[in-house]
Amino acid sequence: MSSNKIVLTSSDGESFEVEEVVARKLQIVGHMLEDDCVINEIPLQNVTGDILSMVIEYCKTHVDEEESEEAQTKLKTWDEEFMKKFDIKTLLQIILAANYLNVKGLLDLVSQTIADTIKDYTPEQIREVFGVENDYTEEEEAEVRKENAWAFDEADTPKP
Amino acid sequence: MTISAVSKKKRRTSSTSQMKDEEARNWADLPSELTYLILIRLSGIDILDNAQKVCRQWRCVCKDPSMWQKIDMRSRIRNERMLDRLASMCRHAVDRSQGGLVEIHVGSFASDDLLDYIADRSRNLRSLGLGMCFPRATNPGLVDTITKLPLLETLEVSHSCLILDFKAIGQACPQLKTFKLNSSGRFWSSRNFRNSRNDDYYALEIAESMPELRHLYLYGNKLSDIGLNAILNGCPHLEHLELHKCFKLKLVGDLEKRCYERIKYFRHTNK
Repeated sequence: MSSNKIVLTSSDGESFEVEEVVARKLQIVGHMLEDDCVINEIPLQNVTGDILSMVIEYCKTHVDEEESEEAQTKLKTWDEEFMKKFDIKTLLQIILAANYLNVKGLLDLVSQTIADTIKDYTPEQIREVFGVENDYTEEEEAEVRKENAWAFDEADTPKP
Repeated sequence: MTISAVSKKKRRTSSTSQMKDEEARNWADLPSELTYLILIRLSGIDILDNAQKVCRQWRCVCKDPSMWQKIDMRSRIRNERMLDRLASMCRHAVDRSQGGLVEIHVGSFASDDLLDYIADRSRNLRSLGLGMCFPRATNPGLVDTITKLPLLETLEVSHSCLILDFKAIGQACPQLKTFKLNSSGRFWSSRNFRNSRNDDYYALEIAESMPELRHLYLYGNKLSDIGLNAILNGCPHLEHLELHKCFKLKLVGDLEKRCYERIKYFRHTNK
């Protein structure tokens, strides 16, 4: 792989010079490079500089994905430590960025981290932490309750 | 109801950066496909009890049948009174898959009725996991279920409180590729097992009736070198073998060498 440099520019005008192999981990960039191989500066409209720098950090670490068990374990430990740095608000920004930039590994990692965070939460706790509003109407809430009949009586379980 | 139908939100009243900040905090605005990526990683119990009650968009995502192709109903609940409730939730989860279920772990509340319910609605099932801590499933029930699942390739059984008939299970599922048997824990030392036939009983049945096995995991099994030898001979396609807490194994002579030569991935630990 050539050591060609590519400049990635965020929505707020911050520029990052990275190796082409790193830039190609962002599939959106990979596709642009396939279309026109002389590009060396790429504007990325939907991601801010602080989030883009984190995505680049992930891509740099994952640029050589070795098959060996030892390398995989090391990478997994790095992923765990990397995710610990972020609060839920930042994780949301990262998942949106990973989706836009099309970085599959990071998308999976952030989704798993968020799932692990919310798994024991009640609906109220989830709403509070994630700033989601309860937009159910009374009728819908009744419907959900009815569907959750297993909580009260097995005989009420809907039949297929 | 489609996913996009629910996520119509009234916003964009101003275009300031403050607005952008608010959007970022509002998870209801997360595109459905990203919500899906997160929620699909939760257990069936977490989805049914909590996630689907959060808001309309989340519920809609939770109703997508593809969300239920893999169902994990394992729970830390070991209270026998809760088992009926969990079994009802499991039935509901199976209904949501609309026949598309590929992989299920029913946790510790497997019963003949529940297995029958799953098998009748999930002809595409490839992987079945069950805990049998409570005497609610029987050998004939399990065999009946397996007979109804022509695509089943993976079977996982943990903490069975009854002596399983692997010969019948193997015959009902000759195409079985992956088998995990976890016999660790208190049930193993029960009177049932102390009085049971010789220690290699399970290993010999596996060797005899599961000729297509590729992956085999045994935890807390009492097999000796005799049983392991039989498995090497009876399962010629084995490429992955893990034996954990199998304290009666001695690996005398060239047995260990044969394992490493014959099997691509071989692990033997006492942990």
